[in-house]
Amino acid sequence: MDWQSIIIILCAVCVITGVIILDAMNSPSKYFAYDKDNRRHRMLRKGIIAFVSLVVFVLIWWNLSLLLDNPAIPTPQTTWEALVFLFQNGDSISGMSMWGHMSISLERFFAGLLIALAIAVPFGLLLGYSDTLKEFSSPTLEALRPIAPIAWAPIFLFTVGYTWGPILVVFVGIFFPVLTNTMFGVKKIDPNWVDAAKTLGATKVQTFVKVMLPAAVPYIMNGLRIGMGVGWMCIVASELYASFGGGVGYFISIQAQMGYWPNVYAGIVIIAILGILTTSLADYLHKVITRRMGIE
Amino acid sequence: MSEKIVINHLRKVYKTDEQETVALEDFSLEIQKGELISIVGPSGCGKTTLLRLIAGLMEPSSGEVSIGGKKCTGPGPDRGMVFQEFALFPWRSVRKNVEFGLEIAGVPAEQRRKTAERYIRAVGLEGFEDHRVHELSGGMKQRVGIARALVTKPDVLLMDEPFGALDAQTRNIMQGELLRIVEKTDTTILFVTHSVDEAVYLSDRIVVLTKRPASIKDIVDIGVPRPRDRASPEFIRLRKQILTELEDENVRPAVHAEALNGGK
Repeated sequence: MDWQSIIIILCAVCVITGVIILDAMNSPSKYFAYDKDNRRHRMLRKGIIAFVSLVVFVLIWWNLSLLLDNPAIPTPQTTWEALVFLFQNGDSISGMSMWGHMSISLERFFAGLLIALAIAVPFGLLLGYSDTLKEFSSPTLEALRPIAPIAWAPIFLFTVGYTWGPILVVFVGIFFPVLTNTMFGVKKIDPNWVDAAKTLGATKVQTFVKVMLPAAVPYIMNGLRIGMGVGWMCIVASELYASFGGGVGYFISIQAQMGYWPNVYAGIVIIAILGILTTSLADYLHKVITRRMGIE
Repeated sequence: MSEKIVINHLRKVYKTDEQETVALEDFSLEIQKGELISIVGPSGCGKTTLLRLIAGLMEPSSGEVSIGGKKCTGPGPDRGMVFQEFALFPWRSVRKNVEFGLEIAGVPAEQRRKTAERYIRAVGLEGFEDHRVHELSGGMKQRVGIARALVTKPDVLLMDEPFGALDAQTRNIMQGELLRIVEKTDTTILFVTHSVDEAVYLSDRIVVLTKRPASIKDIVDIGVPRPRDRASPEFIRLRKQILTELEDENVRPAVHAEALNGGK
């Protein structure tokens, strides 16, 4: 038997056992009764599904790479070896380990995120509050909003360099979702809350700080959640443009130019993992904060 | 210190591009300290408008409200308000909701806490200080609403159908609670309701409004001592009298245009 057949068989076995396990869990049995009210059971079930899903994905990839036999589609195995090597020794071109590239990308990502929050939240609150300011800003904002953030990359990289360029692209990517959602949050405030604050003697500023800001927080968090997904795409894409300065995107770009395909794939895997981590972080923050705020 | 509330020739006109609608016509009333006055009227007659005008949440077209001889402009903590939909801040705990007015007034934290606790106890919510609003039942929410409005010691408590969103049983309990709280805190109350039963049960005086534009049709003195028995002949007589007055106002057109359009 050749490798391909083995993989196809493996794939089928994996799916079938997965289905059997899940079926056994869903139907009452004396060996393992799945209790959907039990948190550990639910998590176990989710874990099994996720694991099977990933295994099947890797097997399909493996099979495709053997089938197409193209250097630009390495097997998962060579990708894994490249990944391990990159973490241990780094790559010869940039002279940096994967940790270095990752920390550079993450630093830029969070810098862009913080700047976007610092500007978009107060601005969004004011836009929601003042119709005049909204009427004044809308034409410009509406003109800028449809531009893909990555379109700014060449300009930003040229004007502010390889560190601040990607940060600004991330900033643009996160800015708009946060701004729109914050503004929407203020518009959606229960007018009774504002009235209640007023009858308790709150001034305009106090109403703004003590009612409008907290009431908008769930919306701000939602904007943040969307923004973090966009921002992570922005950081990698803008680094692809750079011909200097490190970062995971930059790493992928130089490896592709040299034709080191397993390294390119290793970079892509890193992006995927960090992407999942940042979005789960956003989801987690959203959940914790909205719960703390008593709004769900 | 006589904190008499005087409402003088209050009038409100809504202007749209096409027409002017008079919502409230020449409303004058004097409320003595400690009095509980209910306002009843045909639905949509402008009861809420009246309350919002007194609260300062709306500008009257003419007329004024004064407390202890001082004219009120804009909303202020001297006129506390309790809302039908509670309007509690869901991101704050019970304690923090009650403390809101004191926070606004710049009362130091420790004193704020003490005062808030006193009012939380007064409305019977001890033990629930750190609960979130969404964990409370409707009746408990409105207790928080009352405590929050009382904490700044308003000269008058404006209540806009405060028990309208509660079920019948909770409603009766809350009516008794309100009387107990009033007795304890000696608060003046202006109470809007569409329930005549509630009005007769609670009030010293009942103001009956005409249909839109609202003006005073009658003011009924309820001389019955508390606690009142809903089944007593006196209670039933007063209820009937007010219901008849309201029915006279409720001369409806045979078919509503809205009904033809299928509801709203």
